[in-house]
Amino acid sequence: MKSGLVQAASISLLYTLLIFLIAWYAHYRKESGRSIVNNPSIYTLSLAVYCTSWTFFGSVGKAATTGIDFLFIYLGPSLTAFSWFFVLRRIVRISKENNITSIADFISLRYGKSLWLGALVTGFAVLGLTPYIALQIKAVATSFQLISGISTSSATIAGSTYQDHFSIGLILTLILSVFSVIFGARRLDSSERHEGLIAAVALESVVKMISLVAVGILVTYIMNDGFGDTFLRFKETNPADFARLFTIGSSPSDENAIHPFTMLFMSMGAIMLLPRQFHVMVTENCNENHIYKAMWCFPLYLFLINLFVMPIALYGIQTTGSTVNSDFYILTIPLLTGHRPIAMLAYLGGLSAAAGMVMVESVTISTMLLNYIFMPVIVRFTPQPWLPHLLINLKRFGIFLTIFLGYFYYLIAGNAFSLVNLGMFSFSAVIQFLPATLGGLYWKRGNRIGAFTGIVLGLTTWLYAMFLPTFTKFGWLQDKILTNGPFNISLLKPTSLFGLSGLDPWSHCLFWSMFLNIGGYVICSLLLGQDEQERSQARKFLGVFETERRQRHHTETTRLSKPITIAQFTSLMAKFIGEHEAQNAISGYIGGRVVGKTEYISENELPGIKLFAEKTLAGSVGAAAAGAIVDSFLSDMGSRMELVYDIFSTVRASLDQSREALYVRLKASEIINRTLDIQIILDDLLELLLKEFKLDLALVVLHNNEKNLSIGSFLDSTGQNIAEQNWIEENRYIYDLVLATGESFIVNDTAANRADKTGTSKAPAAASHAHIPIIREGAASLGVVSVYSYSIPGLFTKEFAGLLESLAGQLAQAVTISREIEAKERERTQKEQALLQNARIKRDMEIAQQIQLSLLPGAPPHLFGIELGGRCISAAHVGGDYYDFFLRDEQTVDLFIADVSGHSVGAALIMAEVRTLLRPHINSAHNACTILKQLNNQLYDDLTRAELFITIFYAKYNSATGRLSYANAGHNRPLVCREGLDCCIELDAEGLIIGVRPSVLFEERSLELVRGDIVLFYTDGLIEAINHEGELFGVERVCRQLQATRHLPAESIIDVLYSMVSEYTGQKNFQDDISMVVLKIL
Amino acid sequence: MVKRLRGRPHRQLPLHDTWGVFFTLGVVLLNFPFLGIFNKPAVISGFPLLFIYLFLGWVLSIVIIFLFSISAGVKQTEKHKP
Repeated sequence: MKSGLVQAASISLLYTLLIFLIAWYAHYRKESGRSIVNNPSIYTLSLAVYCTSWTFFGSVGKAATTGIDFLFIYLGPSLTAFSWFFVLRRIVRISKENNITSIADFISLRYGKSLWLGALVTGFAVLGLTPYIALQIKAVATSFQLISGISTSSATIAGSTYQDHFSIGLILTLILSVFSVIFGARRLDSSERHEGLIAAVALESVVKMISLVAVGILVTYIMNDGFGDTFLRFKETNPADFARLFTIGSSPSDENAIHPFTMLFMSMGAIMLLPRQFHVMVTENCNENHIYKAMWCFPLYLFLINLFVMPIALYGIQTTGSTVNSDFYILTIPLLTGHRPIAMLAYLGGLSAAAGMVMVESVTISTMLLNYIFMPVIVRFTPQPWLPHLLINLKRFGIFLTIFLGYFYYLIAGNAFSLVNLGMFSFSAVIQFLPATLGGLYWKRGNRIGAFTGIVLGLTTWLYAMFLPTFTKFGWLQDKILTNGPFNISLLKPTSLFGLSGLDPWSHCLFWSMFLNIGGYVICSLLLGQDEQERSQARKFLGVFETERRQRHHTETTRLSKPITIAQFTSLMAKFIGEHEAQNAISGYIGGRVVGKTEYISENELPGIKLFAEKTLAGSVGAAAAGAIVDSFLSDMGSRMELVYDIFSTVRASLDQSREALYVRLKASEIINRTLDIQIILDDLLELLLKEFKLDLALVVLHNNEKNLSIGSFLDSTGQNIAEQNWIEENRYIYDLVLATGESFIVNDTAANRADKTGTSKAPAAASHAHIPIIREGAASLGVVSVYSYSIPGLFTKEFAGLLESLAGQLAQAVTISREIEAKERERTQKEQALLQNARIKRDMEIAQQIQLSLLPGAPPHLFGIELGGRCISAAHVGGDYYDFFLRDEQTVDLFIADVSGHSVGAALIMAEVRTLLRPHINSAHNACTILKQLNNQLYDDLTRAELFITIFYAKYNSATGRLSYANAGHNRPLVCREGLDCCIELDAEGLIIGVRPSVLFEERSLELVRGDIVLFYTDGLIEAINHEGELFGVERVCRQLQATRHLPAESIIDVLYSMVSEYTGQKNFQDDISMVVLKIL
Repeated sequence: MVKRLRGRPHRQLPLHDTWGVFFTLGVVLLNFPFLGIFNKPAVISGFPLLFIYLFLGWVLSIVIIFLFSISAGVKQTEKHKP
C-alpha cells in the first residue's frame, strides 16, 4: 500500500511538473512572439475542457446505471457546433471589440453595463459551479485512493476515512490553486490571453483522450473481441440489463434517469454558457477563423472520447458484478485485470480532466468576482498607488476562494451524490443565463430589467426546485417538505411545483425555471423601455456584423462636456493597471499620430479615447466597473457625457443622410441656382440655415482679391445689427486661421474650450459656433461662413459640420461664378471705353489736322515773274512741318519753311506758335536774319520746356531785283536748279537751330536768281525717305528730278516729287512729314 | 478530395440557412417522437439499434459540419480578397 502511494504520488508530481513545463514553454513562446497556442487544433483541444472528470468517470458510471442516454450530454454540444457559425462568431466578435472577459461581463455589457446584473450572474455562477468543482476534487481524490491502494476495491471507497479525503483533497486543492494563480493571475490584464494555461489544458485534453481510449481498447479488443463481441457477451449474461441500457426511458423509476431532451437542452446551453467554456471559446480565442475547424473537430473529439464508454461500462458490470461505484470502472477494470500501467494512465487522464476544469473555471470565476463583486466596492474609494497590487491579489484570492469553496462542498456533500448528479446540478444553473444571452444577441428590445428579472426568477426556481431538495440528504431539511410541500401546501412541493408531477427533478426544474426565466425576460422587456446606454449597447451587439460602411457612418450621440488631456486618461488607467501597462496601452492607441500628452483632446477624438480607456480598463476590472470608473473620473474632472443635440435624429438609423440634411441640401442648391446675384444667394442661404437649424446668428465674410475682408451677408435671429468693421477686427484671428488652413474651426462649447479666446460682442453669449471656409477643391478660400448658437453647446457634430462644409462648397462655386461674370463685365466695359477714347482722340486729331492744314497758306500768292507752289503732307494726323508765304509788297515775297522736331501734337502746337509769332513780322521791315533772331528769342523758353527745337529757313525774294536773301536756322539747305548747271546750288547760311541757345546770331546771305531758276525748299522727310534696302532718297536724286521737271509748273514739280518719294519708299504713308515749297523764276 | 470539395456545397446553398436547417434537423432527430423509432432493444449484427443510430448519426453530422466549415472558411477568405 505504501509503495502504491509513493508511486501514485510521484507520478502525479511528475505529471504536474510536465504540465507546468509545457505551460511555461507556451508562455515563453508567447512572450517571444511565436505562439504555439495560436492554431485551430489547440483551440479545439482547449474547448475539450468541457470533458471534465465527470466525462472521464461519470459517463461510464451513468452508462452503467441508466444506459446510453449519457450520450446526450455530448450530443448536445456536438449539435450546438452547428450554431457556432452564427452564435459563437458573433459572441467572439463582440467580445473582442469590447474586451469582454467573462460571461458576466458579456451579459452586463449588453444590458447597459449593469453592475448589478454582472454581480447577479457572478453570484449565481459561484453558487452553481461550486458543486462542479467539488465533483472534480472528489473524482481525483477518489481515483488517487484507488490507484495508490488506500482503498483497494471499489466496495470500500465509500467507507474511506474522512482523514483521507481531507488530506488528498486538500493537497490537490492547494496544487490546483497555485497552478491557477501562476497561469491565470500573473498579471492583471485578463484580456491578454493566458497561453500557458491554454497549453496546459490542451495537453490535458490529449492525455484524457488517450487514457480513455486506452482503457477502451483494453476492454474492447484485449479482454473482448471487438465491439460486437463485447455487446454479445453482455447480452448473454445480462439480457435484461442489455435491453434496459440500450433503450431510453425504460427505467423511469430510477432517480438518476433524466429525460433525454433535458440533457440535450442543458448540455447545449452549458457548452456556451459555462463560465470556463465562455472563457476558452471566447476570451482565449486568438483568431475568429479557428472556429471553423473547431466546429467539426470538437464534435469529433467528443465522439472519440465517448466511443468506448459503453463497452467499458458493460465490461465493468460484468467484472464487478454490480453498479456500485460504477463511476470508477475506468480505474478498477485495469486494476482488477492486472493492467496497472493502463490504470495509471487512466488515473492521469482523470487527473488531467479535473485539473484542466478547475484551473480554467477558477480563473474565470475569480475574474468575475473581481469585476463584479470586489470592483464595485473598490471604485467607491479614491484610487491609491498600490491599487494594481490589490487588484491582482484580489484576483488570486478569488481563485483560492473558488477552488476552496469547491473543496468544502466536497467535504460536506461529496459522498451524497454521484458525479453525474453534481454535474447536472451546475448545468441546470448556468442554463439560466441562456435567455439573457441569446436575447441579448438577437433581440433588440431585450432590456436590463428583463434580463435581471429573468435570471432572478430562474435562480429562485433553481434554488427552490433543485438546491433545496439536496438539503434533505444532509438532514438540514425535513423530508416532509419534499413529500408534502412547505406548510403542507402540495402545490409548492419543490419537486412537483404547481402540481407538475411525473417529471424527473432535472426536467422539472428546467421546465419551471426556463418558463419563468423566459417569461420574466420577455414580459419585462416588452413592457419596459431601455435607457440610452442600453440602446447604444444593444445597437453595438446586434449590429456587430453590419457592413463597415454603416459603421463608418456611425456617429457619437454623446460628447464630453469638458475636455480632458491624454495624460489625465493615462494616469487614470495607471491607477488600475499599473504605470507601465497604461503607457503601453495609450501609445498603442495614439499610434503614429503626434499628440501632445498635455494637449486637450479634440472634440471629435474625446468619445473615442473615453471608449478606449473603458475598453482597456474592462480587460482588468470588467466592462461595468470600467464604465463606472471612467464616468466617476470624468465627473471628478467636472466633465460628463452629455447628449449631443442631435439635428439628424429622426431617420439616421436607416439612411446615411437624414431627411433634414437632404432637404437642406436641396433647398441650398435651389437658392444657388435660382440667381446669379451673389447677394441674394447669401441672404437666402443664411435665412435657410437659421430657420432649419435653429441657429441664432449666421454671417458670411468674403475676402476680395486685395485680401480685404468684408461681411457679405448677415442675419441675426433677434434682428440686431453689427458693426461690420469692429466685428471683422475682433474675429480676425478666426477668419485668418480658417482662410489660411482651409479647414473648419469649430467651438462646440465656448464655456469649456480654452482654445476659444473670442472676444466678440456676440461670441460670449454663444454656446457654440462654427466657421466654415468657403472653398472649392484645389482653390484658395473665398471667405468664411460663420454660424453661432447662443443656447446649444455641442451643436456642431461631425455630421453637421460636414453638411455645412458641403453647403460652403456649393456657395464657393456660386461665388466663383459670380466673380468670374463680374470680371468679364468689367473687362468688356474697359474695352469699350478704350475704343471710345480712341475714337475721340482720332476725331480730335482729325480736327487738329484740319486746323493745321488750314494754318498752311491756302494758295500761293501771285507775284509777277515768279510762280510759287507749296505743300505739306504729314506722316500722322498732325505734323511739325510748316511753310508760309508772306507777300510784303508787289515785288517782295517772304518764303518760310520750318520743321519742328518730331511730328506729335506738341510739334503741331509749336508750329502754330511759330506761325503766330511770324505773322507780326510780315509788316516789319526786318530782314531774314533778324526775324530768325527774334523768333529764337521768343521761342527759346517754350521750346526748352517742351524739349523741342525748330529748324527754319527764311527767304526774302524781291522780284524787282531778282535777289533772294535768306537766313538759315539749321534747316536743310534749299536747292537751286539753274539751267545749264548739272548740279544744284545749295543755299546755306550760318545759323544755329532755334531753341538751342537763347540768343543766336544768324548770317544773312543772298543770291541773285535768274530766269528759269527753280528753288526747292524742303524738309528732311524728303531726302531721308528710305527704300527697302535702307538707302536714303538723297539730295542727288532730288536735284536730278528738279532738272528733269524744270519745265513743269511749280505745283506739278511738287506732285512729281511726292509721287517719286512714294514710289521710292514703296509705302503709301511717309515715315516723316514732308513739306516742299517751289519757287520758279519765270 | 478536400480541394475538390472546397467551394462546392456553398455555391449551391446559402450558408446561413443551411446551418439553421441542420441544427433544427439535429434537434428533431435527437428527440422523441423521432427517437422512438430507434428506441428498441433490437440488435443489428451484434450492435444495439440505438447505439448504431446515435453513433452513425454523430459521424454523419461531423462529416456534414466538416464539409460546410471548409466552404465557410473559403467564403471567408474570398470575402477578404480585394
